[in-house]
Amino acid sequence: MIKRSFFALSKPRLTYDLLEPDPEGPQTIPVPDLITLLLTQAIDNTRPALIKPGDPVKKGQKLALYEDSTAYVVSPVAGTIKSIDTYPDDFGEIGTSIIIAHDPEKISEIAPLELPEDILSADLHLQKLPGAPPFDILADENFKIRTIVITGADTDLLTSTSQYVSTTHARELEEGAAILKRLTGTARICLTLPEGINGQDRFSSLQVLKTSSVYPDTLPAMIMKDHLDTVLPAGKTPEDMGICFIRAEAVVSLAKTYEKKALVFEKHITLVDKAGFRHRIKAVIGTPLSHIFSQLDIQINDQDRIIIGGPLQGSATFTTHHPVTPDTDTVVVQDREILPKISDTPCINCGKCIQICPASIPVNMLVRFLEVDQFEEAADKGDLEACIECGLCGFVCTSQIALGQYIRLGKHELHKLRAEV
Amino acid sequence: MNNTKLTVSHAPFWHDGDSVFQKNLNYMLALLPAALFGIMQFGAPALGVMALSLSFAMFWELVINLVSKKTATIGDLEAAVIGLLFGMMLPAVTPWWLILVGTFVAVFIGKMIFGGIGSSPFNPTLLGMAVLMMSWNMFFDFNTAYVDYDFAFTALAPLTAVKTQGAAAADFFALGDLFLGREVGAIGAVFGLGLVLGGIYLILRGYARWELSVSFIAGILVTAFLFHAASPDAYAGPMFHLLSGYTLLAAFFLITESASSPVNRIPMLLYGFLGGFMIILMRNVGDYADGTILAILLVNVVSPLLDNIRPNALGKGMNNA
Repeated sequence: MIKRSFFALSKPRLTYDLLEPDPEGPQTIPVPDLITLLLTQAIDNTRPALIKPGDPVKKGQKLALYEDSTAYVVSPVAGTIKSIDTYPDDFGEIGTSIIIAHDPEKISEIAPLELPEDILSADLHLQKLPGAPPFDILADENFKIRTIVITGADTDLLTSTSQYVSTTHARELEEGAAILKRLTGTARICLTLPEGINGQDRFSSLQVLKTSSVYPDTLPAMIMKDHLDTVLPAGKTPEDMGICFIRAEAVVSLAKTYEKKALVFEKHITLVDKAGFRHRIKAVIGTPLSHIFSQLDIQINDQDRIIIGGPLQGSATFTTHHPVTPDTDTVVVQDREILPKISDTPCINCGKCIQICPASIPVNMLVRFLEVDQFEEAADKGDLEACIECGLCGFVCTSQIALGQYIRLGKHELHKLRAEV
Repeated sequence: MNNTKLTVSHAPFWHDGDSVFQKNLNYMLALLPAALFGIMQFGAPALGVMALSLSFAMFWELVINLVSKKTATIGDLEAAVIGLLFGMMLPAVTPWWLILVGTFVAVFIGKMIFGGIGSSPFNPTLLGMAVLMMSWNMFFDFNTAYVDYDFAFTALAPLTAVKTQGAAAADFFALGDLFLGREVGAIGAVFGLGLVLGGIYLILRGYARWELSVSFIAGILVTAFLFHAASPDAYAGPMFHLLSGYTLLAAFFLITESASSPVNRIPMLLYGFLGGFMIILMRNVGDYADGTILAILLVNVVSPLLDNIRPNALGKGMNNA
């Protein structure tokens, strides 16, 4: 954890980690006996489901709850469904977890994949590729996507997954970008890469946007402002502005899928252990984190924290059995001894958040509205919706207020309020 | 399956390790040189006044915590800083009951009834001081306060001298003497050098904002210079004003109080300048010899207004394309 420097006349500067010049290959985690897949749809007991415990599944088989479900998962292994259960996400939204018992004997059942030639069928079959390509957004007629930005620069600290995948798989990345262009017809495809990284010259067909090493310059809103001359209006998403961000790994997975004519399931992950040591690993989607920890000899104790994502934007999981999902780039393990405290001290108006906020939000005002659940006022006078959720205000807060939590909850409640009207 | 109970919370998962306790501890540390000099100059009574003031301030906060059935908050040292500053602004011979009343006003009316830390619209220390000054003005006459002392320098309160005898009285005091504390005044306000060192320390550590201190000093110097230039006989020069009275204490420790000051850069610059301007205005035109306390309380009022001058948030107020 980066601590405050003794002299702090100006705002602190957090910098992204740059990929080492000759990165070692990832350690492959063996496929576990049980695979957990998370489906974003809740079980409806009144309707007959398409899947039930005991059903055999093939490798590459699409699993959905009902005939008309749009949410689906793809089994990365052959085996049988062991159990179907519910799980709550960060905001208490209920999803479905499907546990599949892996049967290594059954390997010959992969049906040959029909390669999608348009974006709609890509959305129907390839949404769960490692890297979680946002085909749903690209296929949506409401968004007129004119620019696709491939994020080769990681958006959070400590991690180098995107940098690693984009520079070591440069050929696949370019091929994937070509496939993406063919599927979507998007004219402009750019790639973000940190300045100073080795191998920038490997991309001849892509426009490379060199991002600075200062956090949070690689966040979508900042990329748009600094490189694409588009200011993201408060409360809008990049898609609303015709810009779609896609992980480099998703593009690489796309190219691999077309090359092998079969789905790929291995996800690259940067795992930072308690000592801060970085493990580069490759694990099949659905692998429970507990399996990875036991493979790497990482001991998890009560009150430790497991963060999916980076230290400033990630989310903490409540169970060590949380699986690797298509968008899991980073896992950070924090020992309970080093967990920073959260306090209920009110804002003391020191102004450090104002100094560091990249979106010029009056955080001191904002938190006063959010503390008393005045969400509309927070949006109106506190610029709640302009927040890009970089987490810097919470990082520097002298009062140790959980600003990130207040803001995320505030946005969530605001959307709920507006939906009710 | 083992069921490890993990800690779950929201991003960010890092913190720079700063805290209100650290901030206040550093404030007290920065106040030490001036406070120690006060003890050297005015002897044990000065120590008594500051110790009493500091402990009364914490005592009142604890009492209010207990009465309102809230968690005790004195551990964050906010009350201690209020108490220490309060003690440092008093003459060394202040009677105990005055301190008792003053710290009560400062902590209770200045801070706690507004909701405690961070919510006070006025600088709590100054609110307490203002009430004392209005009610028992005779205890703040630094000329009579130290009649029993025997000093090796002009035992004349500089600002009162200038107020009563005109700008020529400023010549009694060498600027170097004022800066090095060879003057009578409040315990912690006489040692200019110590205050400047402490202030610079706080600014470098990031606990006091340079924008406030610098613009405040600029406000003092510019305004005093203009007055002095207009009528050198009636008004003392800018450096005299900067080094006398509560000015330096205010520049680094009072105007920078976070709850009652703005947070955006331009408002901070305006606020500081306005504070300095008001002090000189009160000293030169008003009734009080040292207008610092009332001047800062007055600019506290405009702080929220000034803070409306701020940059547009990212993507805010634009026509949605």
